[in-house]
Order: sequence, then C-alpha cells, then structure tokens
Amino acid sequence: MSQLTRKQFLRRLGAGLGALIGGWLLAGCGTEQEPMPTQPPAAAPQPPTATASSGATALPTVTAGESVAPTPTRGETAAPSPTVGEAPVATATRSVGPPDLVVARGGEPEALVRRAMAALGGMERFVQRGYNVIIKPNICVAYHTYEYAATTNPWVVGALVKLCFEAGAGRVRVMDSPFGGTPEEAYLRSGIQEQVLAAGGQMEIMPQFKFVPAEIPEGLDLRRKDIYDEVLNADLVINVPIAKHHGLARLTLGMKNLMGVISGRPAMHSNLGQRLADLTSRVRPALTVVDAVRMLVANGPTGGDLDDVRKMDTVIASPDIVAADSFAATLFGLQPMDLDYVRAATEMGLGRSDLSNLSIEEMAVGA
Amino acid sequence: MAPRAKRRMSWTILRRLVQALALLAFIAFFVWSRRGGWPGSVVNASMRLDPLAMLSHLLASRTILIGSALALITLALTLCFGRVWCGWLCPLGTLLDLFSLGWWRGKRDAPPDSWRMVKYGLLLTLIAAALFANLTLMIFDPLTILFRTLSVTVWPAVDQLVTVAEATAYQIPALRSAVSTFDGLVRPRVLPVSPVFYRYTVLYAGVFLGVILLNLVASRFWCRYLCPLGALLGLVSKVAILRRKVNERCQECDACARVCPTGTIQPERGYASDPGECTMCLNCLDACAHSAIEFRPHLTPAESQTYDPSRRQALVAFGAAIAGIALARSSGAALRDHPRLIRRPGAVENDLLSKCIRCGECIRACPTSAIQPSVAEAGLEGLWTPVLVPRMGYCDYSCNACGQVCPVQAIPPLSLEEKRQQVIGHAYIDQNRCIPWADHRACIVCEEMCPVSDKAIKLEMVELVKPDGEMVTVQRPHVMRERCIGCGICEYKCPVSGEAAIRVYVPPLGW
Repeated sequence: MSQLTRKQFLRRLGAGLGALIGGWLLAGCGTEQEPMPTQPPAAAPQPPTATASSGATALPTVTAGESVAPTPTRGETAAPSPTVGEAPVATATRSVGPPDLVVARGGEPEALVRRAMAALGGMERFVQRGYNVIIKPNICVAYHTYEYAATTNPWVVGALVKLCFEAGAGRVRVMDSPFGGTPEEAYLRSGIQEQVLAAGGQMEIMPQFKFVPAEIPEGLDLRRKDIYDEVLNADLVINVPIAKHHGLARLTLGMKNLMGVISGRPAMHSNLGQRLADLTSRVRPALTVVDAVRMLVANGPTGGDLDDVRKMDTVIASPDIVAADSFAATLFGLQPMDLDYVRAATEMGLGRSDLSNLSIEEMAVGA
Repeated sequence: MAPRAKRRMSWTILRRLVQALALLAFIAFFVWSRRGGWPGSVVNASMRLDPLAMLSHLLASRTILIGSALALITLALTLCFGRVWCGWLCPLGTLLDLFSLGWWRGKRDAPPDSWRMVKYGLLLTLIAAALFANLTLMIFDPLTILFRTLSVTVWPAVDQLVTVAEATAYQIPALRSAVSTFDGLVRPRVLPVSPVFYRYTVLYAGVFLGVILLNLVASRFWCRYLCPLGALLGLVSKVAILRRKVNERCQECDACARVCPTGTIQPERGYASDPGECTMCLNCLDACAHSAIEFRPHLTPAESQTYDPSRRQALVAFGAAIAGIALARSSGAALRDHPRLIRRPGAVENDLLSKCIRCGECIRACPTSAIQPSVAEAGLEGLWTPVLVPRMGYCDYSCNACGQVCPVQAIPPLSLEEKRQQVIGHAYIDQNRCIPWADHRACIVCEEMCPVSDKAIKLEMVELVKPDGEMVTVQRPHVMRERCIGCGICEYKCPVSGEAAIRVYVPPLGW
C-alpha cells in the first residue's frame, strides 16, 4: 500500500463527505417537501405552478402539482383555492357563512366527522392542494385500547385523514408524544395507527431534536418553550382531543391537548390555565375537532376503567379552539369559565366562550 | 506452492466471515431484544447458547429449562471440533481479534503458562458456588460482559451522539428533510425515541476497556488466562475429536508459534499444542509453508498440561466458593435491608439471586431504562442483578418485556394482565419537598401519571392560611397504598429537581 500524502487524503475526505451530504440531500428530497420558516407574505395567494418558496429551491426535485402555500393564521383567512375546479372556499362571515361551531350527535364516528365538517364548510375550507397537514390526536398513554377513552377515537382520526386527502392535501401526518409508554406502542394500542395508515396518512414519531426553542410573543406567563418544529411550520394543524377528566385542569380538551407538542411538560403545571392559553396563542390550530364519542369522566387522563366511560357519540368541530373547549365543557355539566384555560384564553382574545352568542349548528346524524 | 497457499488462505477468510456474521447476529439479537423488537424467546437464544450460563443456572436453581438445551449445540460443536466457539463464534473473542492491539503490544514475551490456571480456578469456583445456589461469578461470563457493556454504555452513548448530530444537522434548513428521513429509519427500531440513561456507565465501560487493554500484555489475554467459559470449553476440548497435529515435514521454522493467538504452540515440545487452549483459528495452517500441520480426528484424550486443574486446585476453588458465599451471606446486604431494592415484577429475592445469570437481557428489553444493573442495592452477592431505579425510568404499565426476554425465568414470564397486578413497591410522599405540601403551589403530576384505575394517588383539596397570612386553595396528593403497584412513574416524572418528592420503596414485610 503506497503512502498517502496529506493533500491526497484531504481531497479524498472532501470527496467522500461531499458524496455523503449529496446523497443525504437526494434521499430527503424524495420524501418530503416542507415550507421553510422564511415564508412569502401571508396575504399573497400562490399561483398553482409555484414550485417552492425560498429555502426549498435548494432541493433539486419538486413534485409536480405541489405548491407551498402560506399558512392561514385562522380558518377564516384561508386564501382562495389556487386550483380551478376545486370547491369554492367559503369566507366565514357570521350571517351567511358556515356556523362558528358544529355539534354532530348519534352516529358512527366517521359519519359524525364527515357531517360536522360538511356543515362547517367542508375540509376544503381549511385544506388547499398540496397542503402539509399535521393532525394531533390525544395518544397520551400506551396503556389501553380506545374503548377506555384515554386516547382519541381511531375512526375520528381516520376520517379526518381521509377528508384532508379528499380536499387535496399533499401530506397528512398524525403524531403525539405519550407520557406513559413508548410512542410506537401507544400508536399501536390506541388503534389510531391502523386507521391512519389505512387512510393513507403517516404516523410520525416525535424525536427530541425537533422540539426547538420558540418565542411566544403573546404569552403572558409562558414566553418561551420548546415546541415541535414541524407543528409550527405545517400548513394546517388539526387538533383532535378526546374529551376527558383531568385532576388539575378538570377537563382535558383542545387546549390541554396541545401539551403534546412541547417538551418539558411537568413545568407547565403551576399556573396551568394561563400557560395553556399562552401556548395556544403560539400554536393556533386552525381547526379543532373534539372527540366525545366516548368521554372519560373520572380517573383521567390515563383511564383504565370502563365504568368511567360515557358513550356520547358526539363530535364537536370549530375553527375556534376556545369555542370548541367551551362547548365540550357543557357535556360534563360544567360552564366554560369553570376551566382556567378557557377563562385565560378568552381574556387574551384567542377565541370566544360566550356560547349563547355563537352560531352553533347541532345535528343528529343517526345510526 | 501457490495454489496450495491459496486454498489454505480461504480457511482464515472463512473463519473471519463466520466471526463477522456471529458478531453481527449477536448485535442484532441485542438491538432487537428491546421491547418492540423480536420475540423474547428468540433474542435470548444468544444467552441460551452459553453452556457456562446454562450449566451454572441448572446447578444453582435446581430447575431444568427446556430452552437451555440450546447450549448442547455449543457443547456438541466443542466435542467435535474443540474450542471453535472461542475462535469462530464468541462475539467477545471476535472483538478481541478486531482490537488485538498487536502494533502496540510489539514482541513482548507472554506471561508464563502457569497463568492459564487462573481461568480454570475461576471456572471451578463458579461451579462450586453454583452448587451452593450462588451465581455472583457469572459477571465474568464473556457474553454477559459484552451484552451488559452494549446495553448500558455503548448504545446510550451512540444514541447521544446521533441525537447531537441530528440536532445539529436539523439547524440547517436544507438538511431538515434528510434528517427527518434518517431519524424515521433508526427510531424506534434501532435507537430509542427518548434517551435512556444508566448509572455508573463509566464503570461498565472501564471493565470492558480493561478486557480489551489486556491484549497489550498478550493477544487474547482474556481468552487465555481469565475466561471461565473458555475454561469450560477447554476442558471439553481435551476429549474433542478433531485435533491439531504436526507431522514430520516440520522444519521448526517457528512460523506457527508466532501467529498463534493463544500462544499454545510450544516449540520445545515439537510445536505441539494443547487442544484445551487452541481456539481452532487455523492461523497456523496458513502460516506453515511446509504443509506440516494437519487437523485430524483422534479418540484418545489429549495429554495433560502443568496448568490443568488438579485435585488440589479443585479443593481450593471449592473452599474459596464456600468462604466467599459465607462472607457475602454475613454482610449487611444479605439482610435485604436496602429500602430501594426494587425488583422486577414477579421476582422473589432469593429465587432471583439463584436464577439470574446477570446477562442483562431484561436491562436491554426495558423500554424506559427503569431496570438498571444493581451496584449498591443488592450487595456484592447481587452485583449487576437487575434492580428497578424509578428516577432513571418507570415500569411501563403497557410493558411486560423483561419477563418475556429472561432466558432463565429468573422472573416468570407474566402476561400483561398479570404483570399489572404485581406490586413491586410502594410510593411515599416526601411532604418536606412536595410542591403542594411544602410550597402550597399547584402540582398534580404524580396523580396525573398514575396508571392504575382507580388512581392510587388521590388529591385532597385543602384551604389553608400560609404563614404570611395569605389564604390559598391547593390540591395535595396522597398515596392510596393498597392500590399502589410501585411502578414508579410518579417518582420518575416528579418535577422536583434531583431526588423526587415521591419515592418508591420496598413494601413493608408481610404486605
């Protein structure tokens, strides 16, 4: 074996590393298109042929037809659909548009979700072609199957995945970070993985390094938290809590469900109500669907006793997370203001809890 | 000449190939011993192939496990071909070949042959102790050393490195999707989603490093002088059928003696070797330029060596075992009075000590790193037996992996339902440090986490006047001991820094 000079060695090292990084880049391009944090101004509608925004141009291959559209801050401000032939997008004007909140009762979970979303103006109101959607159910423990109502109903999640794809979503991922048991086990036992994969979605396991420090500019108590990066950068986040009992928050609903997208959760528990409202101000899911097919009324959030479960066959959907939580509270015989986080969020103007002044459409779906 | 050399060369290549495959298989079995990997009864085969572990377990526990019969394969191989396990299969041996450190060792003289006695002494003491239901010396088994090192030091360290690399690469926007894809491939299949931590990692790394560094004194120092499994297989090899033989073509060129990794080829005895020391690596077959070495079947036992175990040595070993056990039994640790000696679900203490082969399979299987090798809790006698350390990890309510993977049923393989009923400890609240108790501030983490239903932690709503006159309402946790199973998730998640304000202890006597 001949001696390598230092120059030769460095040259080969450079070539090897270059090939490695190039390979990595190529490997990544085939699987994922995500908008970079530096986005075009939110108001500018993107033409359908726009291939990628600033950062993504570094990636050589862009799947045809995928467009990276701006993130709507709330459901109401969703930009018009860029593709001709899509269902027209409703603008949520109070009098003529869809209601603020829909409650569907009495039917199979998937039918409940479909009817509720149709009444809310269709999933097309929230999803544009090629959208990168993240659905956040409550999969807090790996202990029990869905009957125990500790985790979101699998068919509710599955129906949302289907609706997203029917509305033209490019990628739909479902994720949560359980506090009890491993995520892989929790995904499996909850039954959610099976329904999501069957609907064509992906289950993402949330690794540590994607929880990145994020400022919470509107936060009153919580100003900074490690938040799951992909959730902050997704085109649409759909929050799918299950309605259940909780020792401190009284109930865990939509806003409490957002605890799953942060790390360092135990530290949230002092002043929980305000901190949950602060977190909500940063994450701002554009759509909240509360699964009250089965409700856990005691020994939450972990559950484990079927005697604590009430079958309600109810789904609540709203672009307003505060309104959804407020209505869900009434299912337990509580008033919205009984929940600290609803009170804090209302005071911050994150949504509305005055149920009597909201336009609410209640429907019976029938089995 | 040339074609013959080529044919012989293929033996070494074949051996290295087999060694590499065996090492990879061992590592694969190790990686997927973790819950969610391969079935426990499959992955623990690497331990059940170990005749030393199975023999000592048989003697100490006085129970026959059908699965242990796998070790007969290794014994049969040894009876036919000698110590092929050591030369061809043993993963630790392969690593010692990989890190043979020959360049640093230079041409120093190996220690005298009498040192080879040490391993026989260790083996005899181990067997004698096993007869008295003690398995402490199994910490010297090569497979347990390697397995423990991999699970407690190597894998967590690799995980930390990968996590740092991922986090760094994730800062670069162009690499994000690639990092995500990579992470999706390795987690959870190969690396854990949440990092796992073990106590005293440096200790285990040090033991392993020591075994490797002994190569500086002589190649395969461990295998020659210390390995009790090698000693057992060496004794069997004395009557093995296939044996190395030097024929009359020998030119006494010393080439074979120079390449022998265990130094058993003795020039002064006509380049003969001891089958008890030969690992059948076939290096000498390659090195011999005169075709003077052949491997032929023999039926007579090999001639004895000066370092072979004698009757006297056996008696000394026996005495040492008895004295050691007596000492261990009279030490304070034997009282089992350590309040934190929390054992795996279903394990009975004396049973566990006489059954556990210290292999570390359960430690690897545990998805939360709740099971850790014991250092102080069980005393010297129970060194490196599995102990549950709730501050390191909790016993996952949805997991029964440790019982499934244990190769010797040191705990019975419980169904998930049975395991959930097992009381392994009781939680106690430290009211001087608990946030609601001591500081009158809200915290219900332990209650929230408690997996049993009806919850074993109940919240008591109290209104009280603080010393400064302020009126507060606070929920204070109480443990309902009769429902607590001691899983330790409350202790693990307690947000108080350092030692938790709720801790799991061994249940009181007679509970």
